[in-house]
Amino acid sequence: MTVYLCENGLEGIFCGVYEVYADRQPLSECRLSLREEYEPELFCSYKEIPLDPAKAEKVAKKVRNHMSMEAYRALSRAALHKSPARADRIFRFIALGLSAGRQVMQMLKEPAVYEILRMDQYVKNEAHFLVEFSRFWRQPSGLYCGTIGPENDVLELVAAHFADRFPDMDWALYDELRKKAALHASMGALVIRTKITEEESRLFDKNISADCYIKLWKTFFHTIAIEERKNPRCQRNMLPLRYRKYMTEFQP
Amino acid sequence: MVFDEGLTIEEKLKILSAAAKYDVACTSSGVERKGKRGYVGNADAGGICHSFSSDGRCISLLKVLFTNQCIHDCKYCINRCSNDVVRTAFTPDEVCTLTMEFYRRNYIEGLFLSSGILYNADYTMELLYQTIWKLRNEHRFRGYIHVKAIPGADPALIEKMGFLTDRMSINLELPTADSLKKLCPGKSREKILRPMRQIQTGISENRNELTLYRSAPRFVPAGQSTQMIVGATPENDFQMLCVAEALYQRFGLKRVFYSAFVPVVPDKSLPAPAGGPPLLREHRLYQADWLLRFYGFEAGELLTEERPNFNVLLDPKCDWAVRHLERFPVEVMTADYPSLLRVPGLGVRSAKRIVMARRTGRLEFTDLKKFGVVLKRAAYFLTCQGKMMTPVRLEENYITSQLIGEERKKTCEFENASSFRQLSLFDDMHLEAPPAPQDAKKALFGEL
Repeated sequence: MTVYLCENGLEGIFCGVYEVYADRQPLSECRLSLREEYEPELFCSYKEIPLDPAKAEKVAKKVRNHMSMEAYRALSRAALHKSPARADRIFRFIALGLSAGRQVMQMLKEPAVYEILRMDQYVKNEAHFLVEFSRFWRQPSGLYCGTIGPENDVLELVAAHFADRFPDMDWALYDELRKKAALHASMGALVIRTKITEEESRLFDKNISADCYIKLWKTFFHTIAIEERKNPRCQRNMLPLRYRKYMTEFQP
Repeated sequence: MVFDEGLTIEEKLKILSAAAKYDVACTSSGVERKGKRGYVGNADAGGICHSFSSDGRCISLLKVLFTNQCIHDCKYCINRCSNDVVRTAFTPDEVCTLTMEFYRRNYIEGLFLSSGILYNADYTMELLYQTIWKLRNEHRFRGYIHVKAIPGADPALIEKMGFLTDRMSINLELPTADSLKKLCPGKSREKILRPMRQIQTGISENRNELTLYRSAPRFVPAGQSTQMIVGATPENDFQMLCVAEALYQRFGLKRVFYSAFVPVVPDKSLPAPAGGPPLLREHRLYQADWLLRFYGFEAGELLTEERPNFNVLLDPKCDWAVRHLERFPVEVMTADYPSLLRVPGLGVRSAKRIVMARRTGRLEFTDLKKFGVVLKRAAYFLTCQGKMMTPVRLEENYITSQLIGEERKKTCEFENASSFRQLSLFDDMHLEAPPAPQDAKKALFGEL
């Protein structure tokens, strides 16, 4: 078994796929893993694959033209999933897609397709949750700040939504688990910055007294509930507990 | 009645949101609008919920009354003029500022503005119009706006308002004219239906205009909705459902909402439900409403004059299926989409997945499970390549008792903790990893 260790992200994984085919080995004897996350096993040889945008683009083009744009989009979202198996699953999907062609997205019965769709759906769901549940607060400087801690790497997807919604506003959204932030200046474009330092992250520490609308929102949140219909389980089904840590109305 | 002038914005918000909370509709769906430089906001066709209150209902819009003063004396309403509560009113600027500031912090998707009637219908409608006009033009707000049309207001005002809002609604309140006369002395059926018809006509005329001129202003693009109170008057489920069906077909409504009656003001003409608000009945009505809108059912198929109320023990779809066993079992590989939709345990998404996946391979029961089919229910009504999942007698009593065993657990929860899930269109989605069980575990082990 040869394990191809690729870089994180869609491009890195596509490079791995490119190398598997370039080596002309039987596909069942190959596996893709992520260099940052793999665990060494016995009886495997390892091969590190460096990032090469040109090779990645060739694979991307193949997916778009031979399969469909829809398949490409699903793969790009599946690459954001938290599962360490994502690289190999994307590889299996492409392997099947190369023989099945345009109809690959309909072959839900195939585990290779089903797994990708499941990951895609999971990432989409979390991105949607964060579009709903992210909260900003206004700093005295006029900057709107928000902090999130998603399971999957969905910051870009979420930031794209806010860039459309608030085109003329200064805002920043910080993923505290991955130490990256989306920064949006009122007249400029959206920038994603990685490797945010401890010092920089302090900008996002919430100062409740600085923003008077925090209190008004909490008031509204509590008065709008109907006491006679109290139903915490339904509330938890709709609003998973892990998001509440970041939400204004659930903070003390 | 005390009209208090010296209230702070927070006190006003408290009073006017508490007064608006019995209105159910809080959806922000039905219109897709991209953001634009120089403006604030966009809209998503699927709707975005921003929070869920402790009663499990979605908070999507800033739901407030403009004022809780009212000239009417509707028996069930907390704002009825004979009720002794503190009265107050926002100014148009206060509503605009609250909306904009909440929106910028991603608390809300937009504004849902309703109002008690101050002096008369036209005066109130004019105030609402001024508010919305400011919000759209001075604050350049492109988010979602839902406004209640005031019954009896000048049609010209309603028309002007329609071009600024995304959704308008007029509450039907009670399903029959008799009940309305009894509980709402100031309103009449005719006064409610006239603006509803006007908005419907406006929407269809606007649609024609839009096909000619793409940039024509849009009139109530997210459609109109209404609300009925469940359990305040003696109407049965069949009457309620027939009214809803008529509203969908004849008035082109987007949604009919049902609101379980909560006694907030005691009155001798109102019932006092012993076990709290009729939540199970409301739930059954929503289930049936979904069947009407997305599953091709008709009211007359689900209920009849002889059986006018829903089965407490079975959901309306299972109930229909066990009474029509001659149409089952259905073969997964060959059945058409409408007949798949009628199988209990199958939803819109899973039925679509089946239709798509069977083009490229034979399906087994294990595959169906992956697509989100609830086999506990579907197993009695489906065959895969001619075989049922387990040997089953196709016999009404047997299947009913099996299904009730499963359903009883759920209704039990209703009666005890009333812990039902709010329905969502794609409730049957199992392809995603459901967050609830793992969260429950996390909560248990204190990992959060």
